[in-house]
Amino acid sequence: MTRDALLSVRDLSASVDEKTILHHVDLDVAPGEVHVLMGPNGAGKSTLGHVAMGDPTYTVTGGSIVFDGNDITELSTDKRSRAGLFLSFQAPVEIPGVPLSSFLRSTLDERPDMKMKNKQFRKTIKELACELNMDQAYLDRELGVGFSGGEKKKVEMLQLLLLKPKLAILDETDSGLDVDALSVVSQGMDAYRERCDGTLLIITHNTRILEHLDVDRVHVMVRGHIVAEGDASMISDIDENGFEQFIGADDASEAHE
Amino acid sequence: MDAKTIQHVNAMPAPTWHRLHMNDTDVEIPAGLSVVHEVTTEIPAALAGAPDAFDAALAAEQVEWEKTHPEKTPEQRAEEERLRTEEEKTTYGGTAYSRYQIGADAIEEARSLARAFETGMGADAYAWMREVAGDPIVIAAPAGEPQEVAVRVAAVPDAVNVAAIDVVAAPNAEVTVVLSVDSPREGTGVTGTSLRVFAGTGARVHVVRTQTDDATFIDMDDAGLFTAENAFIDVRQTVLGGAKAYTGLAGDIRGTASRIDIDTRYLGHHEQQRDFNYTLRHHGEKTLCNITANGVLSGTSKKTYRGTIDLVRGCKGAVGQETETVLLADDGVVNQTVPVILCNEDDVVGNHGATIGHVRPEQMFYLASRGLSQEAAENMFVRAIMEQAAIDAPDEPSRDGVMRLGSHLLDNFEGFLDEEEA
Amino acid sequence: MPKKRTQVADIDRSMYDFRYDDSDEEKLQAGLTPDIVREISAKKDEPEWMLEHRLKSLEIYNSMPVSDWGPSIKGLDMDNIVTYVKPNTDQKSDWDNVPENIKDTFERLGIPQAERSYLAGVGAQYDSELVYHSMQDSAAKMGIVYSGIEEALHGEYADLIHEKFMTLITPRDHKFAALHGAVWSGGSFVYVPKGTKLDYPLQSYFRLNAKGAGQFEHTLIIVEDDADLHFIEGCSAPKYNVANLHAGAVELFVGKNAHLRYSTIENWSKNMYNLNTKRAIVDEGGSVEWVSGSFGSHVGYLYPMSILNGRKARCSFTGITFAGQGQNLDTGCKVVMNAPETSTSIETKSISKSGGVSTFRSSVVATPKAEGSAASVSCQSLMLDDKSRSDTIPAMDIRCKNVDVGHEATIGRIGDDKVFYLMSRGIPEEAARTMIVNGFADPVSKELPLEYAVEMNNLIKLEMEGAIG
Repeated sequence: MTRDALLSVRDLSASVDEKTILHHVDLDVAPGEVHVLMGPNGAGKSTLGHVAMGDPTYTVTGGSIVFDGNDITELSTDKRSRAGLFLSFQAPVEIPGVPLSSFLRSTLDERPDMKMKNKQFRKTIKELACELNMDQAYLDRELGVGFSGGEKKKVEMLQLLLLKPKLAILDETDSGLDVDALSVVSQGMDAYRERCDGTLLIITHNTRILEHLDVDRVHVMVRGHIVAEGDASMISDIDENGFEQFIGADDASEAHE
Repeated sequence: MDAKTIQHVNAMPAPTWHRLHMNDTDVEIPAGLSVVHEVTTEIPAALAGAPDAFDAALAAEQVEWEKTHPEKTPEQRAEEERLRTEEEKTTYGGTAYSRYQIGADAIEEARSLARAFETGMGADAYAWMREVAGDPIVIAAPAGEPQEVAVRVAAVPDAVNVAAIDVVAAPNAEVTVVLSVDSPREGTGVTGTSLRVFAGTGARVHVVRTQTDDATFIDMDDAGLFTAENAFIDVRQTVLGGAKAYTGLAGDIRGTASRIDIDTRYLGHHEQQRDFNYTLRHHGEKTLCNITANGVLSGTSKKTYRGTIDLVRGCKGAVGQETETVLLADDGVVNQTVPVILCNEDDVVGNHGATIGHVRPEQMFYLASRGLSQEAAENMFVRAIMEQAAIDAPDEPSRDGVMRLGSHLLDNFEGFLDEEEA
Repeated sequence: MPKKRTQVADIDRSMYDFRYDDSDEEKLQAGLTPDIVREISAKKDEPEWMLEHRLKSLEIYNSMPVSDWGPSIKGLDMDNIVTYVKPNTDQKSDWDNVPENIKDTFERLGIPQAERSYLAGVGAQYDSELVYHSMQDSAAKMGIVYSGIEEALHGEYADLIHEKFMTLITPRDHKFAALHGAVWSGGSFVYVPKGTKLDYPLQSYFRLNAKGAGQFEHTLIIVEDDADLHFIEGCSAPKYNVANLHAGAVELFVGKNAHLRYSTIENWSKNMYNLNTKRAIVDEGGSVEWVSGSFGSHVGYLYPMSILNGRKARCSFTGITFAGQGQNLDTGCKVVMNAPETSTSIETKSISKSGGVSTFRSSVVATPKAEGSAASVSCQSLMLDDKSRSDTIPAMDIRCKNVDVGHEATIGRIGDDKVFYLMSRGIPEEAARTMIVNGFADPVSKELPLEYAVEMNNLIKLEMEGAIG
């Protein structure tokens, strides 16, 4: 399975401020598949997404991350991105003084195969904005500044569709709270799957976001450990019984350390 | 014209250590320039004002102001004198005010709006600019429908091209003043605008100045503003070009509940110099001011920003705010900032904040996660200032200037706002 | 309608205002000439290089202009300032041997009591000379030196002093640094050897008793690598109707990973021109903490400076200035970040009342070597009435891209809502306002040794009394 996996996380441990958040995590995602990473609040799900993307806030203390056949454990974040990895943020940062369109242009300028002329670029992003029901005026507004929750999600989905990554890790931990955001993300995921035959790793603890998706595999994380894996049927199980059933498993895995 | 050095330009009112070289600057006008007046205006005939409109408006306002600010009675003066003498006895000669503090008190004592009126670059620069500009363009906006006027200064090779502009907004008038300064032809020289604005009771004046000179020109932007009761002036200055760009603005926020807002955006690159001086003096009760400055410095550019909010005795209920954000994109840059608050009134709020530095770590991670290296991120900030200026340009000629300069500076800039025909 | 408030009574400063006749002290004639400088030097039997330094400094003093940006010093006529006043005693190490009037002065200021209760050593200067110097045996055994600097010029560390003396604050720095170089007298020398940590503070107290005199003490402190010291400085003077001048100099050398805290409560009388200069240089991983309270003086110019000269060197400055009637206090600090990953934290408070003028003035400089450094500056000013003045003039000069400088300043008065809230719980207005001002000053007072914090709160209380109508 490892050979075929697009993303292969092996025995990965990571810490922040000397506190270990991820413990010996193993996770594989094959091309074209849809995976879901679930778990209660504070389990370390978002951390896994950020560590996969190379967030310097975290220190990898052991293990490896292989993406598309290359070990990217030490690779800088921008190179991971250009290699085809994408992480959506729960809330993109605000960058005053930088119009959204300028930012989007810069992301494309860094990818030789995606460079386009201004007119074509402008047309492309307007079409994407239109598809995502996003007011075009937002393209000229400063990145993130004064955007609502739904608009921030649209900005993330727009980038997903613009950059067409090989693997998208969608950190949707909070999306379940906002109906608008939820529908934006669903729409973005559908378009991405359809157009790019995209591979998805969706991070969530709310199953509503998964309703229209064919999920290939579910991973459950509790306190920084992967404690269970299974097929899509786990989703309805979790829906009914919650995460309590896995807490014991977590204790057991800790006992092995 | 001979070479000329104008000294003490953009001087901050209350100076600090000379060793820091921040108190003021000198403007060097190169030798051999001729004086030209290549200025185009778009001013509806109904808005043409009499040559002395500004001074007349200030003189009329003096009369009104004195009605609500009567002179001290002899009894009050005697009492003040008594307290002063007493204080001198008990406090070893009285308070040892600084030269600035004594000067500031003298101006208030003089009770003359004309004497208190100033422009940001200072008297010497003002006098020189008015001299080379010739007769001022006078705009007198009547109450009624909002009006828009434009004054465009084109840099002329081997010449000094300065426009003097007086704007007098009648009570409840609303007028937008677009100033665009651009260098369509190559060469060296000086551009400038010398602006005075009088906003009458309840008037609203919007000033938008966009400067897109090539890096071979010097630009001087001098302004002095006055607000009567309930008047509101907002100024947006975009400084994108010029080897040296000097921006001086002084505002007398005189009338009750009047307000001045300043929004400045600038870009410094290569060896360019940017020099700003803002002095906003709250005289009236419940007056407001808001200064926002955002800039990006790259290459070995140098910027000095002086921003003074002066809460003058009597401005009860005034609120002054100042925020400066600078992004340093290269190691060779020099960034000097002095955000000053002067205050001799207690019932006021004065705030200022400055953030100077590089892209914050969480911003950088976000940008990196979309494929931008640190260098690419820095380039993006430079580009963004230009693109934002084009997006926000007040009219087509201003935008054309931004596009012209942007295309010189950046790859693949032309046409970024254009769209393919649907 | 503006709120009516009663006139503020002059502050009761009597606790500092007692004074003794200075007629039996030995004074040099007023004014400043090379002969006077030679005479001071001769009296001190000091090395030749020091006399040269003094004469050179005098030349520089005569050639330098007075600053044109700060409070007026017109009232300071150098021809009338007595630069050297020798008390009628030599330096003692036992209070019982100190002449009665001088001993009584320090008793009333609480110095011997403090020495007994929480200090590791004390130096006391009366006018131009140290009259008392003593340190606990335990500290001496650790190799710590705390003595009069003139005494040290003849001792084991004479060469070290020669090497460092007025190298941080050179006579060219400003006019009064040059004056200090010419006529300095008294002050302390502290040497803390490598790895030595002193658990209790050392304290120097400066008392200027003579009318129309100047005090020019020099403090030189060397804290070697990995060592730790807390030094406290106190100053006061009785009030006269002629100008007194204080132009001391403090030079601090902080070694690698060493730590020095320098606390000052300045409460000179209100005829004092306090033109003091303080400077620290900090090596790799070291830190200097300044805690500074300025209450007294007619005119104050005081900006302790930190030069962060080694990787990860740190400085913090916590200061409060309280300017009342007739006072123009121009205070703040200066920092130069001249090495990678240094950090600076500045927090100041100022209060202006009864026509007093308080100016916060600072400069934060990051040189091209300051890669990865950070500075935060926060200053808050409180206006207690509409007769006073409070100015904030912070300069920043940043020449390195990977630095992070944040600055914020606010100015305003005590919120009516806060006073109303406290009064609604039965607290009288004056007590409520005093409480709020004390709270405002709290970040500074909590950094002070307990005795000084109590003194500061008392000073604030004194200043606040009668402030309410």
